[in-house]
Amino acid sequence: MIKKAKGRLRLLVSMLALVVLLSSCGGGSSKPENVNGEKVTLQFWTIALQPTFTPYFNRVIADYEQKNPDVKIDWKDYPYDAVTNKLLTSIASGSSPDVVNLNTEFASQMGSKGAVVDMNEYLSPEEKAAYFEGIYNSTVINGKAYALPWYTGTEVLYMNTKLVKAAGLDPAHPPKTREELSEWGRQVNRKLGKAGYAQQLVSKLFAIDGIPILNKEKTAAAFNTPEAVTMINNLKKQMEDGVILKEDADFAQQVKYYAGEQVAFELAGPTFINFIKTAAPDVYKNTIAVPVPTGKADVRLSNSMDLVVPTKSAHVNEAVKFAVFLTNAESQTAFSKAANTLPSTKDSIKDPYFTQSDQSLEAQAKVVSAQSLDKATDYMVGVPNAKDVNSAVTRAFQNILLNGTDTKQTLTALEEEVNDILKQ
Amino acid sequence: MIKWLRSESFTAWAFMTPGLLLLAVFVFWPIIYSIPLALTDYSVISDTHYVGLANFEAAFKDRNFLISVWNSLVYVLIVPFLQIFSILMAVLVNSRIPAIKIFRTTYYIPVVTSMVAVALIWSWLLGNNSVVNYLLIKVGIISREIHWLSDSNLALYVLMFITMWKGLGYYMMLYLAGLQNIPQDLYEAARVDGASRWRLIVHITLPLLRPYILFCTLISLMAAIRVFDEVYVLTKGGPGTATLTSSLYIFQKGMEQFNFGYASALGLIVGAVIGVLSIIVFRFNRKGGVNPY
Repeated sequence: MIKKAKGRLRLLVSMLALVVLLSSCGGGSSKPENVNGEKVTLQFWTIALQPTFTPYFNRVIADYEQKNPDVKIDWKDYPYDAVTNKLLTSIASGSSPDVVNLNTEFASQMGSKGAVVDMNEYLSPEEKAAYFEGIYNSTVINGKAYALPWYTGTEVLYMNTKLVKAAGLDPAHPPKTREELSEWGRQVNRKLGKAGYAQQLVSKLFAIDGIPILNKEKTAAAFNTPEAVTMINNLKKQMEDGVILKEDADFAQQVKYYAGEQVAFELAGPTFINFIKTAAPDVYKNTIAVPVPTGKADVRLSNSMDLVVPTKSAHVNEAVKFAVFLTNAESQTAFSKAANTLPSTKDSIKDPYFTQSDQSLEAQAKVVSAQSLDKATDYMVGVPNAKDVNSAVTRAFQNILLNGTDTKQTLTALEEEVNDILKQ
Repeated sequence: MIKWLRSESFTAWAFMTPGLLLLAVFVFWPIIYSIPLALTDYSVISDTHYVGLANFEAAFKDRNFLISVWNSLVYVLIVPFLQIFSILMAVLVNSRIPAIKIFRTTYYIPVVTSMVAVALIWSWLLGNNSVVNYLLIKVGIISREIHWLSDSNLALYVLMFITMWKGLGYYMMLYLAGLQNIPQDLYEAARVDGASRWRLIVHITLPLLRPYILFCTLISLMAAIRVFDEVYVLTKGGPGTATLTSSLYIFQKGMEQFNFGYASALGLIVGAVIGVLSIIVFRFNRKGGVNPY
């Protein structure tokens, strides 16, 4: 009996020793280069841009390396779903990339954790002034800018003219406000039995009506107001009236509904066109793009991609310099032309490319959205722990709009939850 | 030494070592390592600080976590249904009826299909203006669309149904193996004594399937509490917290919000819940419990 127990104990101890030994075989941290005049290699990561935009990046990287002979850029591209895990594992194993393309929400989340450098420390006032202020400020938390804005998109209103005309509406005089859009949606529902549009239930809904998510100091929730109750109850009514689909529809679902002509409208950025062109060529032919109807706040919301430099980068100075180069007006104009996106730099939209339209849907959407960039603001401006806040808000919206919980009570509980998140 | 090299235990260890090594690296070590992690605010991307039991205290005050554990426990309700239906299906496909191999294969197809693919297909079947709603309205069973996945009273049960639908074939195969191990002469002796088909199942099949029932109940119980794929693909835990399961919440806290210390604490609590439930199942299946004799 004792012999058996000893044997088991020995086995357990040797197993544990083996495990500890194996776990110590981790990746070593990257050492700063350039100490003896050697070339610095910058790890540059993007999200879902290969192979479509490989020629653009090869060109811009070659250009940068020619101007900076002591720097070599190692460009890697990852799918959207994989980049988070990849970034976490790289940082954990001590081989952090130097320049990473992230969205605003993720960049703010990393900034809140102190994981990316404050760009304000590195950029001159002139360099900062090159970007649209509303977009540059989207990742500013406590005066620290955690990312440089890169390519962006503002929403436009896509309309299925076939359905709109069938409902007795005139696409030549599109709705200009959210109220008018609701009326159009009601008419589409009445006449055709289809919904107006599908929508994702995110914090953006507050921003459309000018309801601040947080107070000015970003220390507490600020959305628990009578205006918010009215706004949410109005959304509830619109769902009951068939203006908005009673569902929390992500972008992929929205594409599906619009392509299947189950909704007459779509509020989305220019990338929506590529999806609809592939999914439903006939619907694409009947689609026009017009300025997005604004809510009470009269703002147009941008949805930006950013460049961040992780604090664990071994070459912070070189990385920031490259990020500035990639997001300057010249580089951004070229990228916008290649990728049908919008730039976040003021000088870029002076280019004729953003003012002239050949009446194609792509050109309509581009011109319409480029005109609103100076008014554009990201809806998650400077929100610490943006991901946590967003998922809490989404859950609350779903509870009220889909599960039928009391608006005021749910908002009060959400306020408490967001305040707890901000204390973390 | 040479004697040991020729022994049966050496052979056994030689076969087990590769698997044990993999388990050590990918299972045992993460479990052990999560214990110290749960006592910190580890986030991978920033400095780590010791926080003591703060993560555990926060967990028991975290309404969303408590809801997620409750939803996972509700999910366990599929276990008895899963066992009953898979045993019945195994009995069915164990009979000598024509084209039985086609049935076996058909029932097993969902098992070998990726859960993500299965979930996507079900999302098309159950979404707005979906095939299921269309057919039910046409037949006259329902008068207007049912929001299967965005109705908080339905969504969790719909997910449970999908999990059950996918798992049936797997457990059916395990029970089929069990059924084919039962000596046929026992049945023949009972038939000679005039036992009906039902009595054969109750007095021979079920008692002799007991080890299989224990095994299947345990693994399906663990799978039910750990359910992730279908919830992540179909509802992301929504609407609200209606389908938020513990695995999904732990994933959100760790991989999406970088609170790995907190996520480790949640993982340990859920692990303890699974441990307690497993012990109950073991106790229930020792002598006592359901005695078919």
